[in-house]
Amino acid sequence: MNIAFWIISAVAVLGAVLAVTLRNLVHCVLALILFFIGIAAHYFLLRADFLGTVQILIYVGAVAVLILFAIMLTHNVTGVDGPKELLGVKWWSGAAIAATLAILLKKAILSDPLATLLPAGDKAQSSVAEIGKALVAGWVVSLEAIAILLTAALIGAVVIALEEIQKS
Amino acid sequence: METIYQLLHVTFANVPAWTVQVAAFLIPIAFIFGVYPAIFALTTLVERKALGRIQNRYGPNRVGIFGVLQPLADGLKILLKEDIVPRVADKFTHFLAPVLIVVPGLLVYLVVPVAPGMVAVDLKIGVLFALAVGTMSAIALFMAGWASRNKFSLLGAVRAVAQVVSYEVPTVMAGVAVIMAAGTLSTLTIVQRQGGGILNISNWYVFRPWGLVGFVLFVIGGLAESARCPFDLPEAESELIGGYHTEYSGFKFALFQMGEYLAGMAMAGVTVTLFLGGYMGPGSGPGLVGSLIAMLWFFSKLAGMIMLNIWIRGTWPRLRVDQLMGFAWKVLLPLALVNIVAVGFWHFLTPRPLAWVVTTGWLVIWFLVLTKCNASAILEKREYRYV
Amino acid sequence: MNIPLGHYLILAAILFAIGLAGALTRKNAIIVLMGIEVMFNSAILNLVAFWHYKHFAVPTAQLFAIFAIAIAAAESAVGLALVIAVYRHYKSVDVDEMKELKG
Repeated sequence: MNIAFWIISAVAVLGAVLAVTLRNLVHCVLALILFFIGIAAHYFLLRADFLGTVQILIYVGAVAVLILFAIMLTHNVTGVDGPKELLGVKWWSGAAIAATLAILLKKAILSDPLATLLPAGDKAQSSVAEIGKALVAGWVVSLEAIAILLTAALIGAVVIALEEIQKS
Repeated sequence: METIYQLLHVTFANVPAWTVQVAAFLIPIAFIFGVYPAIFALTTLVERKALGRIQNRYGPNRVGIFGVLQPLADGLKILLKEDIVPRVADKFTHFLAPVLIVVPGLLVYLVVPVAPGMVAVDLKIGVLFALAVGTMSAIALFMAGWASRNKFSLLGAVRAVAQVVSYEVPTVMAGVAVIMAAGTLSTLTIVQRQGGGILNISNWYVFRPWGLVGFVLFVIGGLAESARCPFDLPEAESELIGGYHTEYSGFKFALFQMGEYLAGMAMAGVTVTLFLGGYMGPGSGPGLVGSLIAMLWFFSKLAGMIMLNIWIRGTWPRLRVDQLMGFAWKVLLPLALVNIVAVGFWHFLTPRPLAWVVTTGWLVIWFLVLTKCNASAILEKREYRYV
Repeated sequence: MNIPLGHYLILAAILFAIGLAGALTRKNAIIVLMGIEVMFNSAILNLVAFWHYKHFAVPTAQLFAIFAIAIAAAESAVGLALVIAVYRHYKSVDVDEMKELKG
């Protein structure tokens, strides 16, 4: 199982790095999909089967497709981005900030006793029924709030994207 | 997998345990890789024969008796074709797309039970897994169309992605109805819930008012998700040459055909599992004979669903793009949502006849309302001139 | 599996840093959104890792993860709609060119 962790982590990191560095926008999205699948595999490894499937259903099936559509509607469809972006001052400063953050987070994590915590023995898988019951029993207000938020986002997205067409 | 493991463990008691474990691991994989592609090869022949009958011609009848060796000849021919990659194509993506398109179709079979206990992986979230994996084919289609650097390919790919994303919603909602009624996401348990009753048949979910509606929604959604007629706009020959696989030839083209058929058959398999009682039927049950009969039932139902798909392909005209989207969002989605409420009625109304009456009435009223609301949109006269 | 919790946390931190770097360095608004998605996902991975190691008995962390995924989906939908609207106006998705507040 340890080897699975390292392989999946390598895939996820590779996908994330490629997603933010590649020149071609569509290649970026494909790398992002690799990253999403890596995260889903991590959820399966952490015994959160339901979340892993939701991750694939929502991120790979919906969000990635949405991004692809946005590229098709905005950019030239070959997806090639401008050439002079990489390795400028902005790039170096941004990368430096991110690297500093990573190093600081790593220090903070390793200094905490929680970092060496191991999973306690073999545990039963979480059941979907349990999640569902908690969702409609204890967290029903949050569920409704999310439902309203999603509806608002849906309508808002349509309104924002349609505005220009109606004017002309 | 566990059933096979126990079966092997009892039969071969004196071989080491790990070989039994490896065998129990490999047998379902070999089954999926062997049986379903074989059914695909058979389906291509049956489809061409059936379409020939529908169109009042013979269909393939030259290779072997009645043309039974036609799939073999087709496969040989397509292997010998030159593999052409367009010069401006995105080489890596162009290569990857046909490989990726076969994967989702095969993954779905992991959770489709073919006999009591005979499922490759009895996931607790089986239905969700099947639906989630099915949507991944959209990405492969898009990759194929985009990497070809051909405007027809790209148009086909954009159509395919829009279509898959739109029809995913009513399909999942139709599946939710079954999940609510069965109270589980495991495909094996859903099939078990449909057993019993008269001849193991009367408890199939398709014989419930909400189940019938769900079945129709799921079949339509499955056809659309696997881009089969009448929803084959992504590869509409008269408009887009070949759609996303215009620039593919040789074995890659064969992989596209295979992926498409495997996805369609996978949706048929999920439909059988969710609505037609899976392997349930007269005579199916535990034990060797019962399992064989159950397997026969499952594959008969699968063949029936495939024949239904072929029938629809032979007799229905292709939809227009706006009709396609309007149908998904204005008809199928509201009906699927109403259907979920109908399952609630079914669950909570105690005397069964009352539940029948209320659920049927609810669904019929909403069906009439939806038909009324969409009537003008369907019959609207359209002007195609540019103004 | 005997991977300590720290490994997951560091993985999530690295992924978060990669997403941040992408959001800070790239000019293309769509890639900035993609960087934000990477950050969202790494944060959710943290939640799930904590759930697996510490609070396995209650599914609350999974609920939070589901809420976070729902919010991320809504965010990306609105964000991409904004990108399309901005593109219609400026004919560009370069974030450095979006300097005017007036529409």
